[in-house]
Amino acid sequence: MQFGIFSVGDLTTDPTTGRTPTEQERIKAILTIAQKVEEVGLDVFALGEHHNPPFVPSSPTTMLGYIAAKTERIILSTATTLITTSDPVKIAEDFAMLQHVADGRVDLTLGRGNTGPVYPWFGQDIRQGIPLALENYALLRRLWTEEFVDWEGQFRTPLQGFQSTPRPLDGVAPFVWHGSIRTPEIAEQAAFYGDGFFANHIFWPASHTAKMVGFYRQRFEHYGHGTAEQAIVGLGGQVFMSKNSQDAVKQFRPYFDNAPVYGHGPSLEEFTSQTPLTVGSPQEVIDRTLGFRDYVGDYQRQLFLMDHAGLPLKTVLEQLDLLGEEVVPVLRREFAKNRPATVPDAPTHASLVAAAAAAATAPVGSPIAVA
Amino acid sequence: MTERTRTIAVVTAGLSQPSSTRMLADRLAEATSARLTEKGIPTEVRIFELRDVALDVMNNMLTGFPSPKLDAVIEAVTGADGLIAVTPIFTTSASGLFKSFFDVIDNRSLTDMPTVIAATAGTARHSLALDYAIRPMFTYLHAVVATTAVFAAAEDWGSGADTVKTLPDRIDRAAGELAALIAASDRSRLRARPVHDRRILQPDRWLPALDLTRSLREWGNARTHRSPR
Repeated sequence: MQFGIFSVGDLTTDPTTGRTPTEQERIKAILTIAQKVEEVGLDVFALGEHHNPPFVPSSPTTMLGYIAAKTERIILSTATTLITTSDPVKIAEDFAMLQHVADGRVDLTLGRGNTGPVYPWFGQDIRQGIPLALENYALLRRLWTEEFVDWEGQFRTPLQGFQSTPRPLDGVAPFVWHGSIRTPEIAEQAAFYGDGFFANHIFWPASHTAKMVGFYRQRFEHYGHGTAEQAIVGLGGQVFMSKNSQDAVKQFRPYFDNAPVYGHGPSLEEFTSQTPLTVGSPQEVIDRTLGFRDYVGDYQRQLFLMDHAGLPLKTVLEQLDLLGEEVVPVLRREFAKNRPATVPDAPTHASLVAAAAAAATAPVGSPIAVA
Repeated sequence: MTERTRTIAVVTAGLSQPSSTRMLADRLAEATSARLTEKGIPTEVRIFELRDVALDVMNNMLTGFPSPKLDAVIEAVTGADGLIAVTPIFTTSASGLFKSFFDVIDNRSLTDMPTVIAATAGTARHSLALDYAIRPMFTYLHAVVATTAVFAAAEDWGSGADTVKTLPDRIDRAAGELAALIAASDRSRLRARPVHDRRILQPDRWLPALDLTRSLREWGNARTHRSPR
């Protein structure tokens, strides 16, 4: 199982000091945090994509390219890449390029974004959100899997004999997750292609995530990619820790109360009981996180939201120390217990290359193992 | 044949205790219940004071999801056979709390709901707010709103037979209309869960329109060239 963090990349005033970092300070902090993810032994760093302040990461592959050069082991991913408003040709090229730069340590999570005006800013219509996600992804896949593509769709200029460059590393496209909070069409899309499904998880009650993941699993099996329990599931999580539970609550409360998403709304206690947010000791985080499996089944990827709401870099790095030293090693051990051998790990570049090689040498007509 | 029990949800946005808004809501509920009983239809009235979930309504606005307490209210209201919605008139319109409650429920969840709207205010000069502000909101939500809307000004609570149409007359007329709509409606048997849940639980309703297989046929098997390696 993979563990990591996902960053929205918000530039928020620290409510305890009133200080707002500059854009460059925040961007550099994100780059530092990503390197810390590798240092403390986590597996994945995922970065959001936004085109409006107070968010800084408008160009995720630029930042991930830098992180690729500074790290050796972690998988670089996104949370999420806007499949609706970005040209699939540019997505195909940016991420194939990143694959080469990062020696294959790349996958991506496609999403539809949460800012309505992004659609008109990029010349699209928000009412076409789902058709855009479906058509653009169909083209993206073809650009990665076929050398020369003829294309005509509803949303983009037609292509005749177009070859995106560079070609995916080792002829294998990056693994794709589809992210959604509440759109079953996106879970259906992930299931249809046998791709991963990433449930944001952190902004809504667990009962809702359970239904979305259950639906994806059932449809994954329906399309013949494996059994429902073999579907590839990722979850978000959100934690703040201190050795002593009460210290964590005291330290995090001002950031919670003023956070861009839920600030000035429900109390920390209400939000903690109604969503997966956990504020407390490392042991409390371990217990809560292990509980996710009870309602989504054995899953492949757990990402935590750690740097947001104006938390200073120093605090975020301390949080990552706790996560890497005290929490994730226990989670790895406990999640491995009673996990059926038939439940796969999340696909990596190496496993996809191996699967492609096996498929190439398999006799014609034999079943092809996916991922 | 025994008639099934119809549930009448009463949503009242009165703030004070006791509240004339609540009083009007109770009178409408009793009258509607009585009319249905006359038709041999058993009823169950469930009253929801929005004041009790006021913070939850605002939290839902901010977070996008209802607390368990508010969720239970939304489920009960949107799953009822009929709705009596009563608000005080504040600054020419429904109270903000009343509007906010109907803002956070799914905008498809009151479709076909038999509804009576009613309001209270200090003077009769505010009575048109029911028809220019509150009725359009329920029309947008595709509720079936009874033609009679009941407005009670402070003085109505002390007016008698010498007025043209007394408050009890108006309540009775609205109750009669709502009872008829409820008796004729079977919408509560048609819906169960909030729309996003229903879409997960009943994918057959939208999957055929999505038709990813067709997408793949049209986009996936177009003519392609082989690499000239």
